[in-house]
Amino acid sequence: MPDPTDVQILVVDDEPAILRAVGAALRTRGYTVHTATSGAEALDYAVRHPLDVIVLDLGLPDLDGIEICRRLREWSTTPIIVLTVEDAEERKVTALDAGADDFVTKPFSMPELLARVRVALRHRREATDDPDEPVLGVGDLRIDVAHHAVTLAGVLVDLTPKEFDFLALLARHPGRVHTHRTILQAVWGPAYGTETQYLRVYASQLRKKLGDDPAAPRLVTEPGVGYRLVDPGGPDGRAGPDGGP
Amino acid sequence: MGPVRWTWQREPSPVVGTLVGLALVVLATVALVPVRDDASRAIPALVLVLPVVAAGVTGGRIAAVLVALGSAAAFNLAFIPPYGSPDIDVFEDAVAVVVLVVVGLAIGTLVAQEAARRRTAEQRAEALRTLNEQYEIVQAEREQLLEETTRLAVLEQVDEQRTALLRSVSHDLRTPLAAIKAVASDLREQVDYDDATRDDLLDLVVEEAERLDRIVANLLSMSRIEAGALQPERQAVALDELAANCVRRLARLFKRVRVELAFPEDLPLADADYSQLDQVVGNILENAARYAPPASVVRVGGRAVPPDRVALTIEDEGPGVPRHEQTRAFAPFARGKGSTGSGVGLAICRAIVEAHGGTIAVEEGLTGGARFVVTLPVHRA
Repeated sequence: MPDPTDVQILVVDDEPAILRAVGAALRTRGYTVHTATSGAEALDYAVRHPLDVIVLDLGLPDLDGIEICRRLREWSTTPIIVLTVEDAEERKVTALDAGADDFVTKPFSMPELLARVRVALRHRREATDDPDEPVLGVGDLRIDVAHHAVTLAGVLVDLTPKEFDFLALLARHPGRVHTHRTILQAVWGPAYGTETQYLRVYASQLRKKLGDDPAAPRLVTEPGVGYRLVDPGGPDGRAGPDGGP
Repeated sequence: MGPVRWTWQREPSPVVGTLVGLALVVLATVALVPVRDDASRAIPALVLVLPVVAAGVTGGRIAAVLVALGSAAAFNLAFIPPYGSPDIDVFEDAVAVVVLVVVGLAIGTLVAQEAARRRTAEQRAEALRTLNEQYEIVQAEREQLLEETTRLAVLEQVDEQRTALLRSVSHDLRTPLAAIKAVASDLREQVDYDDATRDDLLDLVVEEAERLDRIVANLLSMSRIEAGALQPERQAVALDELAANCVRRLARLFKRVRVELAFPEDLPLADADYSQLDQVVGNILENAARYAPPASVVRVGGRAVPPDRVALTIEDEGPGVPRHEQTRAFAPFARGKGSTGSGVGLAICRAIVEAHGGTIAVEEGLTGGARFVVTLPVHRA
């Protein structure tokens, strides 16, 4: 783990109270925090300074958060975690499609946001290291991509090819949300995108085969948005939608 | 019915006309026979025209022609010697027949035309009446439809307002809640905060809880206004004291800006409900705190407005309210550009001030910021 003070995080929100709370929490964990209260200010800062994570409120007064995601993605790969007070799943999906990496719904718990930040930072490191790991691991789950074999605590789990592809896709970025469309297109093919009922069926099969605890599943459903794979026993494992034990 | 019309009410009847005409011919002949030797032959000739006219009027063309022939015969038999014999004096008889028939035809034609005209007029009148009735029905339906449309539009508007209110309220409530939840969930983590940070976070929770309290107070006022239950309990209010108390209460909002209070010594007392006015001033101050740039000054002052008003002004150095939005700013759910408020606060201000018989307006301040001016009636001892 690198020194967290080297980690530069930009928090963008027009509510001073949120900036104060999130800023204090991140600083106390050792991260270096910068803040912006408008979209223009955020874009301006992001152009001039190297950043490791951007926490972005979608409801800014000057620019739509989704538009900011789109503009940032024109030249930056910095992970973006969007904050939204809206329950509208559509906005979340649009933000993810526009380039956001993850989302947290307000009111959020700080541990949940911190877990998302850690996931984003880990992916950023992994993306620069070796993206093609032959064996993926999430907790006691091992996914051998080369041999299409999955073991759970050392015991072989029998999966169909589609189930395997579904699981391997999520395991490549543990903790990160994948939208329905992303999963359908990666596993079923580019012609798919709206057949979320397939995903429900396969997710339920996978949970059964992996012996998921319904209260703390490995395969977490983000209603209306998609799925993420977490390690229920790991440090970010409780980073589910409710964000707390 | 309308005015008396000088037309025959009945259709001409040839049979009746002929009988009436012939009866008159007989009558005229009987009446004139005793004097036929003393008078000119022109008299019976003229008198015998009358039955033709009568027949034409009552019976139409056919009756007129038939009676004309009868008149001619009577004239020949009774008034042209030798009397009683049908001696034909070609010239005189021909003249009589032609004149009488022509008169009969003319009268009959006129009567027929009149009858036709009357029929047409009646048909037109009937058609007009029907049209009129239909028009009235359509008109009534139209009015009913219009009424229903208006009612629907009003309902829709109320519905929209409700939805807007719910949306803005949930947004308003969630923002402070989000800060509180974020801080509280973090403090539970037993993280090593330094004392200053911990204090700041606890302050933050208190501030956001107070903000929630103000939102709830505004919502209660809103429902009171909607129910028409906003009745000011008037008393003498010293605006300088009220403003000073209000600023003290909201001190947490004014950490970044300076508030300057400047009231003349002899400012008249306002006639107002203290707690309602406190809410008005609080909302305007909160608004100013939100838009004022850091380290700027918010100026609160008052002045007498002769003859019987007193004004309170609150001016910030923020971006101000554009001219075209200065009226709209007080409409419910009107949110200025860049606003994160619900747009309920200023609407409540207006409702309260107007319930006092006062006025509220926003104008451009000296530095281009927003200057809110509230005028209220002066308290009479």
